[in-house]
Amino acid sequence: MSIDERELAALLEASQDLHADAMRDNREQLRELVDVEAGRGAPDPDQAAEFARLHTRSIGTGFRTGGLLAAAGLGAALVTVTASPAFAKSSPDVQMLQTAASIENLAVATYETALTLPFIGGTDANSVVKAFVTKTKDQHTEHAAAFNAAIKKLKGATQTATDPVLLGVVNQAKPGLTGPKAVVDLALELEDGAAQTYVANVGAMKNKSARSVTASIMGVEAQHAAILRAVQALLAAGAANLIALPPDAAALPAAAGSVGFPAGFYPTTDARPAQEGAVK
Amino acid sequence: MSNPNPNPAGLPITEGELRSLTSDLADAHSDTFTEMRETARDAFGPLLYDVSDGAARLVATPTSRRGFLIGAGAVLGGLVVATQTPKLAGASTRGARPRAVPRQQKLTGDLAVVALAAALENLAVGTYQAGIDAATAGRLGTVAPAVVEFVTTAQKQHKDHAAAWNAVLKSAGKSEVTGVDMTVKAQVDQQFAEVKDVPGLAKLALGLENVAAATYLAAIDVVKSPAGIQTAATIEPVELQHAAILSFLLGQYPVPDSFTPQDGARPVSDTIG
Repeated sequence: MSIDERELAALLEASQDLHADAMRDNREQLRELVDVEAGRGAPDPDQAAEFARLHTRSIGTGFRTGGLLAAAGLGAALVTVTASPAFAKSSPDVQMLQTAASIENLAVATYETALTLPFIGGTDANSVVKAFVTKTKDQHTEHAAAFNAAIKKLKGATQTATDPVLLGVVNQAKPGLTGPKAVVDLALELEDGAAQTYVANVGAMKNKSARSVTASIMGVEAQHAAILRAVQALLAAGAANLIALPPDAAALPAAAGSVGFPAGFYPTTDARPAQEGAVK
Repeated sequence: MSNPNPNPAGLPITEGELRSLTSDLADAHSDTFTEMRETARDAFGPLLYDVSDGAARLVATPTSRRGFLIGAGAVLGGLVVATQTPKLAGASTRGARPRAVPRQQKLTGDLAVVALAAALENLAVGTYQAGIDAATAGRLGTVAPAVVEFVTTAQKQHKDHAAAWNAVLKSAGKSEVTGVDMTVKAQVDQQFAEVKDVPGLAKLALGLENVAAATYLAAIDVVKSPAGIQTAATIEPVELQHAAILSFLLGQYPVPDSFTPQDGARPVSDTIG
């Protein structure tokens, strides 16, 4: 790989410093937000019932892009799972936060698994990919903690489990994770699905702190997706040697410049149903 | 900024084949854009009320810890802002300010935020155009095909964003914003004057993308209209994706923040012209 290990280490260190600053700022902002909004999360029975009705109705239209999730044929199953009235226990915002936490928990578990694979986390793995997977896993850990902190302040039950539907998708994909591309494909599905879910949730949430926390995370997942799309394209092109920091820009295929952001407006057609990972 | 070599790395896949990987997505973008513009226009149609509380909060947004556009002497990723160069300063927004003084509309509340968003998008379009012009004139040295692709695609998406926001203004009976955020432009011009190569342009663009994303994130907190929140939510991640790819091209870690900061968000008190 065309990468200088010392440069990468320095970059990561600088990034960690930035990240630490950002985390400090965000923790303070998050604490302020949830303090202000605490107590407003009690479910309104009528609102919850309407929310459940609307989401049950919309589930069937959520699988249009034909990715791994669609290939798993989960649409019909989702209707059965989420149509249960048990999901109306919490406020809609708390349910969305719980689902978000469950997605984050699954992302952490998936990246942890990926790092056990020799071609991702081994000594011969691409250093940039390995570093990306490691840092991304850590970022998802922080996201899960942030969502759960928001849930707790809204007097909801924190979510430590993984999204039950997506877990099935990951488990189905595991036997096929025999090379970097399959891992990147799976990670991209999770990242893009998370980003779409959060974009949709930001527009639907009533509680300001829930919305703010979600909004501060949606773009980060979108960035993960952008980089994974670029890596995916380079792997598909047999150009793994160009996955480097800095890349050999002159050698990059032109399409690598735009493959990371295929839509001018982030779609929500693959957003996960808001109740999918809610605590029963 | 043409691409003379369709397969510069001698890859086992042609440029055309690689492009086909994204062609469906481009079609999807086109469809989504049309839907988004219509949705935004319909939803904002009756949005003529004053939500000055929200606007006031956006005015109070802190400046960026990333150090972009915070005044004279700001440093952006190693690019030190120095003196003005009027010639290039004029070029930086050449494609984005043909007429109008939208500030005279005295917009308030959500619509003021919409106007600010349109002005920032116009500025991004103009800045990328200035970059294209500079590259075409040979002032940036060799420009890689991937960079050409990035600039042209990102510029188009910013045009789409501006059009979406202007559709909102138009549906509310207001004039479209064809000008740019002059407050930001003044500093962009200073920085652009120092751009001598592609990395310099990329650093400038990275700062603009981060400012746009921060502004949208702040707007989500203050805008009252659900449709406005949703529209901002669909655009903010795209600006951050632009930023991620720019960081990658610059050799910087592409996803530096676990949580997107609002630092650097522009206030509605910015001058638009």
